[in-house]
Amino acid sequence: MTLNFLIAPDFAPERFAGWHMLNTTLQRRSGIGLHLLTPVSAHEQAELLSAGKADLVYANPFDATDMIRTQGYIPFARPAKRYDEMVIATGAESGLTHVEDLKPGCRIALTENRDVKLIGLRLLEPADLTEATIQWVPVDSYQAAARLAIKGEVQAAFFLADAYASLTRMSRSQLRVLVESAISDISHVVLAHPRVGENLPAIEKALLGLGQAPGDNEVLDALGLPNGFEAMNQEEAEFMIDLMDTLLD
Amino acid sequence: MGLPDMARPAEPSSESRLTYTDGSSRTVYATDVEKPFPEGHLIVSRTDLNGIITHANDAFVEMSGWAREELIGAPHHILRHPDMPKIAFKGLWDDIAAGKKWHGYVKNLRKDGAFYWVYATAVPNIRNGVIVGYTSVRRKPSRTRINELVPVYAQWLAEEKAAS
Repeated sequence: MTLNFLIAPDFAPERFAGWHMLNTTLQRRSGIGLHLLTPVSAHEQAELLSAGKADLVYANPFDATDMIRTQGYIPFARPAKRYDEMVIATGAESGLTHVEDLKPGCRIALTENRDVKLIGLRLLEPADLTEATIQWVPVDSYQAAARLAIKGEVQAAFFLADAYASLTRMSRSQLRVLVESAISDISHVVLAHPRVGENLPAIEKALLGLGQAPGDNEVLDALGLPNGFEAMNQEEAEFMIDLMDTLLD
Repeated sequence: MGLPDMARPAEPSSESRLTYTDGSSRTVYATDVEKPFPEGHLIVSRTDLNGIITHANDAFVEMSGWAREELIGAPHHILRHPDMPKIAFKGLWDDIAAGKKWHGYVKNLRKDGAFYWVYATAVPNIRNGVIVGYTSVRRKPSRTRINELVPVYAQWLAEEKAAS
């Protein structure tokens, strides 16, 4: 029997090898065949999910909401001490220093990541900005968002905090952070479809045990999750979903 | 058991006697000191069905001025500022008890008498179809909106006092 393990498409390209290393390690330790699915877009992920092809999912928090509450996926782990935060940055030469310096009609670059957009919109409320009063500039990558902000073609850009930290030192030196979220309660989640059933304990044990054996740190470093994974129960996931519900409007 | 009266702050303050929906009352002191909302943070708390605090995140502890152990087990109205008219909370308990979300701009009272403004959202915690408690998340509000609401709240408060 082989289970499909779907990874949300919002990880940085350099983590790709890390997810394959994780998949191999989990297979070896659990004795269960795992096939990695790495959709390149939210659209492709949605197609795989609706086709019922995802047995295990490393889900971003907002997608997890629907998977848990309406599709019956079971949360069982999350990255330890690793929260999903976002950064709003402007070009270092823009003259802007606070979120409140952004005015209606301003241009903001953003990627497809809707979690980042949602949290970013909440952080722009003190500037009286709404989705409708911003000129959105869609980009394919955080690097492209950085370039537009540095060149002054947009007044600000939205970044996943991890992606911002991964920009080159040169890029970051030409940007200024207007605000960084510090929510600390929202993270990616590892979910299992109920059909995984009796196979789940072995997978859960293998995932939560990562970090204890020689060589594990290599896997976790490649994933960019140095603290590994920690258990997450249904109520902890429900708490996170309630919190995110308050951010929807 | 009701909350004890506040200690009078060192700064100049106004004294009020607040009566809460549970029938208890206490004396509070409000100063003109505003505590800025921490950039990028959310203030998060949970209560049981009776409005008793069961969870407080670090930002809540810091902004309220109370220790976490003082907040847990206390009624959420421990934050009630005397400048807030009752009508500003109209619909809060009705909405969330009916399973709906509630939003509002709220001036909160700190333990030391200072205040902080928030944009508050409250949602019911529904588990297996049953409401088991409530989550409240407060975020940094629009200053424009607060400036619009200050005179409105003052007028509502005056009307409530005149009617009582």
